[in-house]
Amino acid sequence: MAETRWNHRHILSLSRFTPTDYATVINTAVSFGEVLSRRNKKVPTLQGKVVTNLFFEPSTRTRSSFELAAKRLSADVLNFAPGSSSLTKGETILDTAKTYLAMGADIMIIRHAATGVPHAIAAELDRLNTGVGVLNAGDGQHEHPSQALLDLLTLCTVLNPEKPSIDLLKGKKIAIVGDIIHSRVARSNLWSLAACGAAVHVAGPPTLLPADFVKGFQRSPIDPPGLPRQLVQHTSLDAALDGADFVMTLRLQRERMTQHLLPSLREYHRQFGLSHQRVQICAPDVKILHPAPVNRGVEITSELMDDPERSLIGQQVTSGVATRMALLYLIGTGGQSAADIVQ
Amino acid sequence: MAGTLLRQVRVIDPTTGTDQVQDVWMAGGRWSAIAPTLDIDPDDVDVIDGTGKVLAPGLVDLYSHSGEPGNEARETLAELMAGAIAGGFTRVGILPGTQPPLDNPGALRRLVDLACELDQLPQPLLLPWAALTQGAQGEQMTELAELAEIKSFAIAGLADGQPLTNRVLLRRLLEYTRSLNRPLALWPCDRTLAGNGIARDGSLALMGGLPGVLVAAETAALTTILELVRELDTPVHLMRISTARSVALIEQAKADGLPVTASTTWMHLLFSTEDALSYDPNLRLDPPLGNPTDQEALIAGVKTGIIDAIAIDHSPYAYEEKTVAFGDAPPGAIGLQLAFAALWERFVAPGTWTAVELLRALSDRPAQILQLPPPQIAERAAVEAFLFDPAATWTVDASTLRSPARNTPFYQRSLRGQVLQTWHYPGLP
Repeated sequence: MAETRWNHRHILSLSRFTPTDYATVINTAVSFGEVLSRRNKKVPTLQGKVVTNLFFEPSTRTRSSFELAAKRLSADVLNFAPGSSSLTKGETILDTAKTYLAMGADIMIIRHAATGVPHAIAAELDRLNTGVGVLNAGDGQHEHPSQALLDLLTLCTVLNPEKPSIDLLKGKKIAIVGDIIHSRVARSNLWSLAACGAAVHVAGPPTLLPADFVKGFQRSPIDPPGLPRQLVQHTSLDAALDGADFVMTLRLQRERMTQHLLPSLREYHRQFGLSHQRVQICAPDVKILHPAPVNRGVEITSELMDDPERSLIGQQVTSGVATRMALLYLIGTGGQSAADIVQ
Repeated sequence: MAGTLLRQVRVIDPTTGTDQVQDVWMAGGRWSAIAPTLDIDPDDVDVIDGTGKVLAPGLVDLYSHSGEPGNEARETLAELMAGAIAGGFTRVGILPGTQPPLDNPGALRRLVDLACELDQLPQPLLLPWAALTQGAQGEQMTELAELAEIKSFAIAGLADGQPLTNRVLLRRLLEYTRSLNRPLALWPCDRTLAGNGIARDGSLALMGGLPGVLVAAETAALTTILELVRELDTPVHLMRISTARSVALIEQAKADGLPVTASTTWMHLLFSTEDALSYDPNLRLDPPLGNPTDQEALIAGVKTGIIDAIAIDHSPYAYEEKTVAFGDAPPGAIGLQLAFAALWERFVAPGTWTAVELLRALSDRPAQILQLPPPQIAERAAVEAFLFDPAATWTVDASTLRSPARNTPFYQRSLRGQVLQTWHYPGLP
């Protein structure tokens, strides 16, 4: 594996990721995927390093995935869960982070129900010159970078299992449908998929996909002048699905019904729910993604979700561990000693 | 002869539109002589070299929040007043949301007494706003006629500092207060439409994952007030104007002859949603920061005078209250010590506004809105002024801030422009 260039101390958002950054993540994740297929799945890469899971918002899947990734890299893992915390006793978010800093944390993986918390903690850690890297594992309805990157690995792997590459996404049509406005997964995916050259089409009811939603994602400050980002917004599902190579649907929280956002689950399913019948207008070999957990029968039918010919949901989970190993490795080592790790 | 002579200082007085270099002599708390050059024996007076410095009338803040009484850990009255003087403010309106609230004459007098008991000098004049409704809760009127009897240098006027959601009550308040002839300030904000929003709606807030507040949350309430004023003819000051659409509506209302004045806050002039995407809780405001087009309209509105005044809306919070997620943070930032320097650097130094335009919005017009004679730099007038060095740079930190509150995006940042001295002799007739 070639020496990689990596200049992100933190991974807070994908808004400033370059195609080179994505390629680095994918290549690194593919290497770790090979490690995970061996009998001995553990490498000494982060031996002696302390990885902290600061999950202010409850999570099982993402936290487990990060925990396993860190353990496969031989890191020591600390878990912080809100139920047993003192956040209700007047401790600030920075106090919590500083407690783990004092225990010697090298990497902090942070999830919070409110937007911007990983950014605030990262800014404070930088101000203190700690050198600690922060990985955003989901902040409010803002971003969830590791989910989008594992989605990217899943897509690249499906397109060419032998040699996954972001170049394979050029010209592919990817639909993201459902509750976009509340989705941090959708926001991170809008940045990554468009940057890799895919045509991204979003669709959802107007209350969950406001007009001009994609406008803010059309350009990143780091884009070279010539890089066109293809983002299209639709109010009907069929326009987004038409000829799509991949469809990503999102979890619909049931409380949206009581917030005057939707009339009923039935109408939502009729308008935006995915089924074998609805996806017929997609490309013949269309694949379906979902960040899980799934509301069966709401955003997707059980038949479609469980169809091994169509659904990539299981592969997304598998990609998650390799991708998160790659991210922890890149933050933990700056991508310096790649050659040693996978041997 | 005695007193202080300021040699060759740039005198800016918005009441006369003056902006010229003068020699200024003050003695006995009054301006004794102002002329291009004064022939005074320097051995008889204290001489300050005013070269490159600005002398301006004391700043008048329409509305700010005091931690005392009730939340002294955020900031005491003494600290607020010290910060105001350090920032060039000689009069500060205090909103009634203290604990207990300023909703009866005794509470207002107690606040003014608290200030008078402090021995620090000089002091800014504290002008408490009397609540329109009991506890500023927006439900039951306070005893407004009795409150309006308080003499004019001990009360700013009538305001809750909170949105009034009950439109019938709003109508009755406009009717009841009309004959009281006291400044009446209302904040146009529809809390129902604002919902759980924490940033101005638009593509930036959507991209940044911050729940949005529609412009209509401000303009729907604003048009309600304007239409009521059109029928009932009660003069109203409109607080915390934050959107381009509101500026247009106020321009139209003024053109139609409605008796309204308007203010925005210094933070809304300096920052926008783009800045809020840093998720600094000190940029969490209510109303939220505008989008760049809103910010531009507010800046232009100050220049044209559609926006009459810039308020500071100084809101101190303790460290632990603000060190939370952006959306969980209580809205507001401190500003009395910082606003003038920051506004000068951003808008006067590059020529967006003239110095007279800035001071009109921070001294002359707010005094008029409060129905008070504006401070003036004129012979025989009482001295109420400050000396400002536009070139001095300083760092905003614990050693320079007079407030224990740190909730400002300028904290630990360098600021260009510094108030060197403030004079205020409020006892003189």
